[in-house]
Amino acid sequence: MTKEERLKKRHRAEKRFRFYGLTSIFVALLFVVILVQNIFSKGSSAFKKTVITTEIFFDQELLEIQNGASQEEIMGADFYDIMIENLIKAYPAKDRDEEDELLKLFSGDAEIEIKKAFLNDNSLIGKTITLDLTASDDIDQLHKGNYPRDLPEERRRISDFQLVIYDYFVENKMISKNFNNYFFNNGDSRDPELAGIGGALVGSFYSILICLLLAFPVAVLASIYLEEFAPKNKITDFIEININNLAAVPSIVYGLLALQILLATIQLPRSTPLVAGITLALMTLPRIIIPCRASLKAVPPSIREGALAVGASKFQSVFHHVVPLALPGTLSGTIIGLAQALGETAPLILIGMVAFVVDIPSSPVDPSSSLPVQVYLWSESAERGFVEKTSATIMMLLSFLIVMNFIAVYLRQKFEKRWN
Amino acid sequence: MSNVKIKSKNLNVYYGDKQALFDVNLDLNEKEVTALIGPSGCGKSTFIRCINRMNDVIDICKVTGNIEMDGLNINDKDLDVVSLRERVGMVFQKPNPFPKSIYDNISYGPKIHGKGETKSELDQIVENSLKKSALWEEVKDRLDEPGTSLSGGQQQRLCIARAISVNPEVILMDEPCSALDPIATAKIEELIDELKKTYTIVIVTHSMAQAVRVSQKTGFFHLGKLIEVGKTEKIFKNPDNKMTQDYITGRFG
Repeated sequence: MTKEERLKKRHRAEKRFRFYGLTSIFVALLFVVILVQNIFSKGSSAFKKTVITTEIFFDQELLEIQNGASQEEIMGADFYDIMIENLIKAYPAKDRDEEDELLKLFSGDAEIEIKKAFLNDNSLIGKTITLDLTASDDIDQLHKGNYPRDLPEERRRISDFQLVIYDYFVENKMISKNFNNYFFNNGDSRDPELAGIGGALVGSFYSILICLLLAFPVAVLASIYLEEFAPKNKITDFIEININNLAAVPSIVYGLLALQILLATIQLPRSTPLVAGITLALMTLPRIIIPCRASLKAVPPSIREGALAVGASKFQSVFHHVVPLALPGTLSGTIIGLAQALGETAPLILIGMVAFVVDIPSSPVDPSSSLPVQVYLWSESAERGFVEKTSATIMMLLSFLIVMNFIAVYLRQKFEKRWN
Repeated sequence: MSNVKIKSKNLNVYYGDKQALFDVNLDLNEKEVTALIGPSGCGKSTFIRCINRMNDVIDICKVTGNIEMDGLNINDKDLDVVSLRERVGMVFQKPNPFPKSIYDNISYGPKIHGKGETKSELDQIVENSLKKSALWEEVKDRLDEPGTSLSGGQQQRLCIARAISVNPEVILMDEPCSALDPIATAKIEELIDELKKTYTIVIVTHSMAQAVRVSQKTGFFHLGKLIEVGKTEKIFKNPDNKMTQDYITGRFG
């Protein structure tokens, strides 16, 4: 082989490698785009809800309370008759059956929505107001275009007559899409139009908070001790290997551990963010210790020696110099660990967070759900409304993860000192 | 004849199974510069790190024998190394300022030793230390800039100022100029000349010329043994030992 041939071969090899590299990056990006596009196209409609603009007349005869009633009186009052009387006027129905079909187009919370309007203004008796009432899931999906109306009637959840009413609503501009406050404020529900991630958000928040409070101090102190103070011998080697092993243990194993120890033995309340937080802390601990130790290790020994040489004690050299320098790396490692914990599903299913919880937890010892578990729960549901809600929840979860990772990268880039 | 400040007797150092120093007997005179020369790995640095017990940070390092400063047994296990290092400062091969402001770099030592109770006292210490290390004029207007933003030579003088700030009696210098250019080196050497009026200085150097320029006494180490020690002039002009002769004339090293 001549010199030129060898040179050409080398260049060809380089070009080939570039091509492989670019191809793999392209393929990876393609999958990301497909994933994101898929989630967005399915989920973005969940942030809007369909409402039916209806006139409500507060008839004194149908209500047992007066104008100026107190909040308690209103809460205890029955608005069912008011609801029925007003809703059946939304469409000129001919008989009882048609009225029933008409009523099914409104969500199960219509009565509560009317009651809330009265709570806001307790002088409405004798007056008529227009109210945007949440539509039922079927109408919601139909209006968003997620539901095909050209199927034969027996395979549709909406009857032909309901379609006629829907068309009447559209014609009279009674139907529109509003911001879906229920999605953020409500807990889980059997009715997709009323189900929200409020409970899951609060549950996840409490879980991650407890996880942070438990895992961060323990992990940081353990890393500092192991890296700076512990003698290097077989015992510390053994501990180091086991920390690495623990970081690789499948998370469901931590779920089993928590099930046995926290729930069966200590009898902590099941399905609660408290137990979830402890479980996630156990899981996250080694995952925080590893980057913490790495960032402590990255502080050059000359800084420690510099401090020792002016007469700082070991403790002072570590806490005045090494730890502040390692802090950005430590924090970003912690945030990434927490981000992993936020997306963790398997251990939470084992400790019962998969339960159907309607109420929004008011403390870490109330039964609760969490974002990834909510995704899991809804992904099992058949209703179309839950399909979009599943994707929308994934969008929320992903945006939290992206924000957390962004903060981690920012902390590292901005505050970490580079050593040459 | 000056007083002996530090006296080592039969000093042996081991790194694990490997012995790094063999029965070193070396006296360092007060307010004088002692240069330690010798090929790489001969134990010069190991020796000076015995003087401020810096070898303590190496787990496997073991020191036997005797080393005294003004009658104080440095190698005593019960000795408080913090107060020892307050009396014996050290400057390292590579400038290692803390990644903090110039001011904080120097005020750190006095602060942890409780010198300079008030801000004005601290200001005074910082100013004096920087003046003594001939850096004051260059940095007096930017004391709050990071120490790492200075040039290599300035950083090394900052490290010297940091060592001076706690008012030690002895300053150990481990090849302080090996990472510096000739101009910065000249400045440090001038500084050493000035500092020896106040401090006892031990300098490890690979530059024979530097040893001649700055020191009054020179010790030649080879393979962990102190081969020869004496007045600098004598060591470089008329050494007793053949090996010293060979080393200073560049026949090995």
